[in-house]
Amino acid sequence: MHCGRFSTPIDRRRMLARCANGFGAVALSALLRERAFAAEPSASGLHHAAKAKSVIFLYMDGGPSQMDTFDPKPRLDREHGQPIKVKTAPTQFNNVGAVLKCPWKFRRYGECGAPVSDLFPNVARHVDEMAIVRSMTSEFSEHTAANYFLHTGSGLQGRPSHGAWTTYGLGSESKDLPGFVVLNGGLIPPGGMDCFSNGFLPAAYQGSVFRPAAEAVANIRPAESAPGGQLRKLDLVRDLDRGVADRMGRPDALEAAIANYELAYRMQSAVPGLMDLDGESAATKKLYGLDEDFEPTRIFGRECLIARRLVERGVRFVEVLCPSVGHDRWDQHSDLKNGHERNARAVDRPIAGLLSDLKGRGLLDSTLVFWGGEFGRTPMAQGSDGRDHNPFGFTVWLAGGGIKGGVTHGETDDYGYHAVVDKVAMYDLHATMLHLLGLDHKRLTFRFGGRDMRLTDVHGELIAPIVA
Amino acid sequence: MRGRSLRAALGWSAWLGLATVAVADGPVDPAAVEFFEKRVRPILVERCVGCHGPEKAKGDLRLDSRAGAIAGGATGPAVEPGDADASPLVEAIRYEGDVRMPPKSKLAQEEIDVLTQWVAKGAPWGPEPEKAAAAPVKGALDGSPEFARRAAFWSFQPIRAVEPPAVDGDWSRGAIDRFLLSALRAKGLEPAPEAERRTLIRRLAFDLTGLPPTPAEVAAFLADDAPDAYERLVDRLLASPAYGERWARHWLDLVRFAETSGHEFDYDILNAWRYRDYVVRALNDDLPYDQFIVEHLAGDLLPEPRRNPLDGSNESIQGTGFFWLGEGVHSPLDVRDEGVRRVDNQIDVMSKTFLGLTVSCARCHDHKFDPISTRDYYALAGFLRSTRIQQAFVDSDVRIAPIVADLEARKAALASLLAEAAPRLPEPRRSEVEALLRRPEPAAWAAPAGRPAPEDLSTWRSTGDAFAARPETPFRIEPSRLVAAPAGSLGSGLVSDRLQGVVRSPTFTIAGRRLHVLAGGTGGRLNLVIDGFEKIRGPIYDGLTVPVNHPQAPHWITLDVTTWVGHRAFLEVCDGASADFGGATAEPVDGRGRVDVLAVRASDDPAPPAIEVPAEVAVDAAALVRDLEAVDSPLAERVATALAEYREVESRIPAPALAPAAIDGDGEDEFVMLRGSPRTLGEAAPRKLLAVLGGGGPSPGAVGSGRLELARAMVDPEADPLIARVIVNRLWQHHFGVGLVRSADDFGAMGQAPSHPELLDWLASEFVRRGWSLKAMHRLMVESSAYRMAARATPEADRADPTNALLHRANVRRLEAEAVRDALLAVSGRLDRRAGGPSVPSYLSPFMDGRGRPKESGPLDGDGRRSLYLQVRRNFLNPLFLVFDAPVPASTMGRRHASNVPAQALALLNDPLVIQLAETWAARSLADDATDAAQVGRLYQEAFARPPTAEEVGRCVAYLEARRSAGPADEKAAWADLAHALFNVKEFVYVD
Repeated sequence: MHCGRFSTPIDRRRMLARCANGFGAVALSALLRERAFAAEPSASGLHHAAKAKSVIFLYMDGGPSQMDTFDPKPRLDREHGQPIKVKTAPTQFNNVGAVLKCPWKFRRYGECGAPVSDLFPNVARHVDEMAIVRSMTSEFSEHTAANYFLHTGSGLQGRPSHGAWTTYGLGSESKDLPGFVVLNGGLIPPGGMDCFSNGFLPAAYQGSVFRPAAEAVANIRPAESAPGGQLRKLDLVRDLDRGVADRMGRPDALEAAIANYELAYRMQSAVPGLMDLDGESAATKKLYGLDEDFEPTRIFGRECLIARRLVERGVRFVEVLCPSVGHDRWDQHSDLKNGHERNARAVDRPIAGLLSDLKGRGLLDSTLVFWGGEFGRTPMAQGSDGRDHNPFGFTVWLAGGGIKGGVTHGETDDYGYHAVVDKVAMYDLHATMLHLLGLDHKRLTFRFGGRDMRLTDVHGELIAPIVA
Repeated sequence: MRGRSLRAALGWSAWLGLATVAVADGPVDPAAVEFFEKRVRPILVERCVGCHGPEKAKGDLRLDSRAGAIAGGATGPAVEPGDADASPLVEAIRYEGDVRMPPKSKLAQEEIDVLTQWVAKGAPWGPEPEKAAAAPVKGALDGSPEFARRAAFWSFQPIRAVEPPAVDGDWSRGAIDRFLLSALRAKGLEPAPEAERRTLIRRLAFDLTGLPPTPAEVAAFLADDAPDAYERLVDRLLASPAYGERWARHWLDLVRFAETSGHEFDYDILNAWRYRDYVVRALNDDLPYDQFIVEHLAGDLLPEPRRNPLDGSNESIQGTGFFWLGEGVHSPLDVRDEGVRRVDNQIDVMSKTFLGLTVSCARCHDHKFDPISTRDYYALAGFLRSTRIQQAFVDSDVRIAPIVADLEARKAALASLLAEAAPRLPEPRRSEVEALLRRPEPAAWAAPAGRPAPEDLSTWRSTGDAFAARPETPFRIEPSRLVAAPAGSLGSGLVSDRLQGVVRSPTFTIAGRRLHVLAGGTGGRLNLVIDGFEKIRGPIYDGLTVPVNHPQAPHWITLDVTTWVGHRAFLEVCDGASADFGGATAEPVDGRGRVDVLAVRASDDPAPPAIEVPAEVAVDAAALVRDLEAVDSPLAERVATALAEYREVESRIPAPALAPAAIDGDGEDEFVMLRGSPRTLGEAAPRKLLAVLGGGGPSPGAVGSGRLELARAMVDPEADPLIARVIVNRLWQHHFGVGLVRSADDFGAMGQAPSHPELLDWLASEFVRRGWSLKAMHRLMVESSAYRMAARATPEADRADPTNALLHRANVRRLEAEAVRDALLAVSGRLDRRAGGPSVPSYLSPFMDGRGRPKESGPLDGDGRRSLYLQVRRNFLNPLFLVFDAPVPASTMGRRHASNVPAQALALLNDPLVIQLAETWAARSLADDATDAAQVGRLYQEAFARPPTAEEVGRCVAYLEARRSAGPADEKAAWADLAHALFNVKEFVYVD
């Protein structure tokens, strides 16, 4: 049963009366301000001034290696091939080998001079916009639990995703798109759709998974092939619904359901329009790497470009999933060199292009870009040429949306194994993301099972040094 | 590593005594004081005291005094003066153990060295008055005045005997109406008028069966002039098998029902559908609710389980399946932690479902609001620690045991024949047969009785038929041979390789670094289950599940358990009836072969014991008959016939019906885990029900888990008033749209107060008085005048009671996800009413992707089966259901959301299933000779249980005509489009 928490039912009724002029004839802005898209209990708006309006989460599925990307460790070169000289914790495969040096060179970039390995020559040009967090930690060494933790703040299944919390907290600014969109480049993370779940929050906040294809999402293509066929049907439905609403005493829920058909109708054209990149210039496409020979780069480039278009349209939270690179995801238990090279090649140009493009369009200030995986990798080899999972210390970076650029935060030990300075917990990262969006992680709550649940559970501290 | 910390944790209290003596004895050395003041105190003040001092005392630890450092915190002393390596504080600052401090950043190496030296020097302190003690440990909730205050909360009070208020007029049909009317009149309100009959039958049909009424049912009800027409309609609906299907779905929301365990590979929970069917049958049979709960908690322990009247199978044991429907990680790094989370989910589901309490909040600390302590939590956790999962044999005693008895008798007869034949046989046959028939001597490898678990095989317990059979004639009949069973062994092939069974050791603590198991046979599996972790597979655990494949002679199988020394574990040997997680999907263990376990040894020695395994004693059957033929042809004939008949009877052994269920392990209390961590253990918490509910449970020293005693204590309404209140509130919520207590799963202080407390208590006591009959409560509720009100009320009433909290009218409700689909199937004529059985595989659209995706998609229309029978795969939940708020099966969801999202409209507009069913409906419903208006009338009757108004007919006919004029005349398509439009009219998914 609907719980009747519409803010201004009278206005909406007036709106619906205007709707009677015909389907598709009415602007929806009034409806949307009332959260008709999420006509559900939602949080009470901003807690403080927001720096970011949207988030783009570049999810590096499988766990990229910190000491091969943004956290150089000369000690690995010195001790390459020797047994590691610190106590090691059990790892997923427990096949601990010798210290393994980084196969790539590091160079310094930008005014801040942050070192970046040759895996990311293009992203590296943006270090002055980025806050590199080298002391990230997780609590799980296994993909699925770590993915749930990264996405939902809990290692268990069925909790709301950070995207769901964000849209719950802020609603959607988009007229005709869901507030939380996941772009599926081919790799659904271990743990599946529960990484994007609304959990115990209402269904309105679940992530919509779009494929970067003409038919991006299920049920978006009108079933009627004849032109105007669906409109005629919708006109009939609207006429018949009017009598039903009267007969049932015009309950709010039913009227909201009627209004949703208007929005659904618009989504059918908005989603294909979003996916249609014909209007983008050749230069823009090139910026995102759509001219690359390597197909995974083109797939990820397309995703990044669509992510920008989503943000332009007011979508709150966009998560971008990796494409398959003909090797494993960033999960190089063996063949580190080849695997990381292919994964990096798929994302380096597109991400650099995204940052440039957002900046060029004045969107970077209001868009928080977050790059990271569910954990990092071990400094010692698994077998001879791979690295195992390492939740004890790894690197993520953030840019735009109120982030202080050119900052490197935290340190791992000489091996890059454990975070030892300014350790950052997943809860801290979530708290900081919400903070930048104008939300206080301690006040963004939802009553479930007798508790005021939070994304950050009972934890979380703002990572102040990376906030502008 | 953790083993060490664990031992350390248990040993700290002993150090405390030593440390105190050291303080008293030690003179204060000025140089040491200077060292402390100049080097140590600054570090403590700057890096430690912020969290471990007068402002905050995290972990109950204070480092602003020597006494505080020594007394330590919740986990025991922090400093062992004089022994840096044994001091948890030093371990913590070195960032080596489980606790790493300071949490944000490691101290500089120099600082670590200073603090280490300081401890090594005996932790001298400066000249300030030593504080008497560290911060006192926060007052425990148990037995405190605060507990008493919280226990006075309304929901813990006994159910009151309430007299319904007297009200004037003839509106009230019974007590429910008198309570409601009295509350309405107190606000000057009157109830809405009674709804039309068509509205009532539609409301009742969806409410009680989850399906729309057929036009014939509507017509019959309208034509029924008898004064009890309504009551007979209720009886008919409650007697329909669809009632159990409908209400089982409500129940499955509570127990987070799913048939796979999610996480990386989404393994199947084998035979989970049996639990679903158990619930349907229990509801249709109106099983008293107290019995239903007892079966859930302890159906495996009932001395006289309830039997299915049709086939004699064990119903009760299947109730316990609910414990095992949660999620599961495929290869967790920390198996104990995984076990703690599993048990936490079990407690969460159990306490919310049955008690409406959030006991799980008390895992890390005493409950913040309710009278539930961590001790209460771990007292419940102990029941689960003492419980294991099994694939229970639900029908083997009625379908298989008689065949086993027959075979045993036949084998005994054969043994007599062989005894008669033996003296007359030539050698070597004669010696072979004598050896075969000899009672085996105790063998060299058999551990003497009384050896600690798991070595004494006589303490192992079996389920199923294979291991249970210990015939007097200890040889087995193979296709071509007769083979003696080894002495002292556990064998699953003595009667037949076709039998299945599992045998399990008692729970033991892994002491040695190796477990050696002497086993033979083929097809079965040997598992070492550590901390209750069932999904044994690689990486990490693949060494703990070993296929037994030594058909010729027993071999030593050696398990390297070095990593798990100190953990609790048990061994199980499975001949079928268990899950194998070795591959990409969970498969049943092969039950065709046999397994013999001869001996188990725990040791540190990597090599198995040097015990010679004796040669097999076997007789070739053909040679035996041939030899006997030569000396006594009739006897040879009898032996051959006996063998042939044995094999014929054996071939008729059916496969057992299996269901996930609980089985007792060994009764063990759980330890209170400080801050919820298994690494910091406090005292053991004896198993019992929550103190606020009387604390009933097993008597100390009782054998087994004690779940049955727990269950009996829980359903005692004198001690536990919640069980009855919570369930009648759930029924009320489903009938009236909102519970009397809106927070259906939380009757604690964070929940909502009852809108009509007297009514709630009246219902609860009536429920108990009527023998815990759910159907009786349904009748009481739906036969009330309150239930029969129309949804439309006067504007004045709506203004005075805008949220309808007082129930001045009926609530308009949207159908649940499953009912939406079932209504589509029913109206279209595609509904297949077959009940029960294995689930229909999930339909997988191209948009559903990810690890663990089944290779094959199920049918788009789910074979027309009711939604209840579609498989629930955690990682591939039905998108249509999700969009209509079907819960994610994580924990108890007693009240679904009813969200309103455009995705619902898109699904009804464009989902291929909806389109297909609209076509089916139109094709079925269309009669050639009828007018458009008559056809429209028929569709309306089927979809909405009412005829259309003239205006509605007009609009539908106009639509058809416009469509005909717009395109090529395709009548079928035109009607399918109209049918599709009617699916999208809100009346299809809303019930008034």
